[in-house]
Amino acid sequence: MVDITLTVNGVTRTGSVEARKTLADFLRDDLDLTGTHVGCEHGVCGACTVIVDDREVRSCLMLAVQAAGSQVTTIEGLAHDGGLGPLQQAMWDSHSFQCGFCTPGFVMQATAFLAAHPEADEQQIREALSGNICRCTGYQSIIDGVLLAAQRTRQG
Amino acid sequence: MPEIVAERYTGASIKRSEDPRILTGTGRYVDDIKLPGMLHAAFVRSPLAHARVLSVDVSAARALPGVVAAYTGADLEAMTVPGPDVLMALMGAPGPSPEFTLLATDKVRFVGDPVAMVVAADRYFAEDGCDLVEVEYDDLPPVANAAFALDPSSPPLFANLGDNIARPHSRSEFGDVPATFAQADRVMEFHIDVHRHQNVPMEGRGCVASYDSDLGVMTVYAATQSVHVSKIAVAMRLGMEHDQVRVLAGDIGGSFGLKIGASREELAAAAASRALGRPVKWVEDRGENLTASGQAREESFDVRAAVSNDGDLLGLDVKVVIDTGAYPGMGTMVPGIMQEMLPGPYKLAALGFESTAAITNKASYVAYRGPWASETFVRERVIDLMAKDLGIDPVELRLRNAAERTDPPASMITGRPLVGVTTRESLERVAQLVDIPAFRRRQAEGREQGRYLGIGVATFIEAAPGPRSPEGPSGPMGTESMRLRLEEDGMVVLFTGQMPHGQSHQTTLAQIAADEFGVPFEQVRVVVGDTAVVPFGLTGGSRSATMTGGVALHGARQLKVKVLDFASQLMEASAMDLQITDGNVWVRGDPASAIPVSEIAQQAASGQFGADVDANLEVQASFDGGEGGWSGGTHCAIVDVDIETGLVKVERYVAVEDCGALINPAVVEGQIRGGVAQGIGAVLLERSAYDQDGNYQSATFMDYLLPTASDIPRIEVDHLQTVPLDADVNFRGVGEGGMIVAPPTLVNAIEDALAPFGVRIREQHLPPARILELIDAANAT
Ligand code: FES
Ligand code: FES
Repeated sequence: MVDITLTVNGVTRTGSVEARKTLADFLRDDLDLTGTHVGCEHGVCGACTVIVDDREVRSCLMLAVQAAGSQVTTIEGLAHDGGLGPLQQAMWDSHSFQCGFCTPGFVMQATAFLAAHPEADEQQIREALSGNICRCTGYQSIIDGVLLAAQRTRQG
Repeated sequence: MPEIVAERYTGASIKRSEDPRILTGTGRYVDDIKLPGMLHAAFVRSPLAHARVLSVDVSAARALPGVVAAYTGADLEAMTVPGPDVLMALMGAPGPSPEFTLLATDKVRFVGDPVAMVVAADRYFAEDGCDLVEVEYDDLPPVANAAFALDPSSPPLFANLGDNIARPHSRSEFGDVPATFAQADRVMEFHIDVHRHQNVPMEGRGCVASYDSDLGVMTVYAATQSVHVSKIAVAMRLGMEHDQVRVLAGDIGGSFGLKIGASREELAAAAASRALGRPVKWVEDRGENLTASGQAREESFDVRAAVSNDGDLLGLDVKVVIDTGAYPGMGTMVPGIMQEMLPGPYKLAALGFESTAAITNKASYVAYRGPWASETFVRERVIDLMAKDLGIDPVELRLRNAAERTDPPASMITGRPLVGVTTRESLERVAQLVDIPAFRRRQAEGREQGRYLGIGVATFIEAAPGPRSPEGPSGPMGTESMRLRLEEDGMVVLFTGQMPHGQSHQTTLAQIAADEFGVPFEQVRVVVGDTAVVPFGLTGGSRSATMTGGVALHGARQLKVKVLDFASQLMEASAMDLQITDGNVWVRGDPASAIPVSEIAQQAASGQFGADVDANLEVQASFDGGEGGWSGGTHCAIVDVDIETGLVKVERYVAVEDCGALINPAVVEGQIRGGVAQGIGAVLLERSAYDQDGNYQSATFMDYLLPTASDIPRIEVDHLQTVPLDADVNFRGVGEGGMIVAPPTLVNAIEDALAPFGVRIREQHLPPARILELIDAANAT
């Protein structure tokens, strides 16, 4: 077992984990942050995406021990006081999701992408999200949500 | 003729009440459940397609620290009540009933067939334990395709059947088939293949089973399309009374037909929980999901079409062979629906239909969004092939053959009346939205520059719910029940057996009930997912819009009558003079008389009324579908095929649909787009591939390719004005249509793009390599 300390959603968390435990399993099982979903465990679907030190990361491919000392943000950390952040609000307004299983991954991926590319157009957003799989929506409603969030941010 | 009246919420794209939890990561999916003392299960699965199991040794696994138990197939049989697959028995699957065990006992029948189960303190330990299970196999010849399965020399998968036939060959005829074919100007013949592909919800199957040995009660937290069907399956296999089993479900990460009832693995987890007296969780990983959860389609058709030189499709004679995989189920039931639906909206004079279902060493055939959809693929492909041979425009040809809307309505040659069908309007609307002559000019210019554009159209109807049969008293989809209550806090609570897994019922049913009862949308709560409180039901078959939307409407109306009756005593006014608006009961014409419904409910609960007053503000409603009706529409795709790489780009996609009165347009459009995306994936990417020995080739997302945001274009949706049939309920199902009609739409477009090469397409799966082969083959002839 390895002792680790990291910051998750602004709070210092410690754990004692097997070296082989993934960050996704650590977040879900040890920290009870079940908002992060696991859709494939092999790095393709993007459902497990979280932000580690300002970069989007597939938490099924990262070991918990590799995240020691990092700043991790999960979907639970995007909005405070139980409300919705601007991207989440825009996605609600756009009917972005159906079953919601892919949602945390899209929200985290789009959050990281919009932070770096606030001017992105539809094509760029589609490319940025093309590593995330949604089986329900056909993507258009998700893209519309991200576009709406970007537009609202630009308009201040 | 009934009219559709504008309502406050119904018909508007109300924002979903599911979303705040989903968007903040506070939804509760089955893998999020953690119970005290919970153990985790993992399965040892067969690496072979077909083999005898000589021995299973779980002793080393049992000895591993962290492992609590390990079970063989024989162990599980001893722990449960033997019997057939409960779901198939419930659904009345035709054909023989093969041996059914939770884990393989004497034989494994497909790659991924579960052989042993290890239960441990966490999933990592459980998988470590699986690695230590020793299984000795004796290879048997794999039955890797339906043709071999139907050959009497193929080794039977099930000893008690003696052959590999899951549904014996049968033939039906409607109309005068021989005469129709004898009189036809020409008879066209094709072989058409639909490939194996699968549901792939982003959340796989799974459950947490928790047995309370003191109470003798089993609680199962499930991911299911029906908590009651799951409950029946658990009770039967575990030999428990129905009231000793409770099934609960929360958020479910998609299903598309996969998660109906409890699977073998879930039943095994429940049996283990009972044996161990501790909760057991099993959540499949993606490898298990792709390999073992089930697969769909894989049907091959021999089609003869009787055609006139003017372009009339006079008759069809269709033979289908279905590859049901290892454990027969849905694949034996699909031919009946295919047969009924094959004429579609067209004026066929005759139909011959033959079917056989074969058992093979592949994962079992399961329901997948529009399970019978291949009949639409075949029919819409035949129409386009006919159009090419006769030199008639495909839209013209469809208009020529589609039945007119007459009174009394025309009927499909297989029986059902085509009442209220708007096929012709949808074809005309597509032609309006997509300027086809302009496209043809662009196509011609493109071809001169070596660019291959194509346009394809396909049309469909779906019995969602289907028309009320003229002779039968029963509705088109049985009945749907709902319990509705006015609570003391003023909430109108709907208890439904629907088990939403993306369909937004908590929003849409609340819209309907809020309008009908007279409360704000936020004042309606929809309760799902608990066998202790919801009536029987199932989310599937595109039934919920009509059936559950309808029972919500009628139930809210009944509840309102009851509330007003009671209020009339309080308010000393005739119930006829009372109304409910915005959550207040008031005497018509006297706004000052308004009393909140919460106050009425509190009075009712106060116990101060005698037995002569019905103060129980609850109703039990049921609905039989009313007049029912058809869903349907026409889709159009424009594609750009790169003949160097074989890549197909979908440039434009238009869906013109009629699903009756819309409850929530954004939800409807989401269903259509999602279904179309799955259809595009099925044609261009997805395939559940086996090699010739039955080894599975598509066990990861690197091999089973799903469409992404770069593959799916914007999908334009246009809603047709529907023909209302019922006085109250004209909502119709829309869950399956996109997936039903997108494959022929796209394949028709691809064939059109490749017309200069003379390519004729008789299959559904067209990845780049196959496109190149088709071009080469056409060039060679
Ligand atoms: S679960 Fe990590 S990418 Fe799919
Ligand atoms: S909403 Fe279901 S997978 Fe995306």
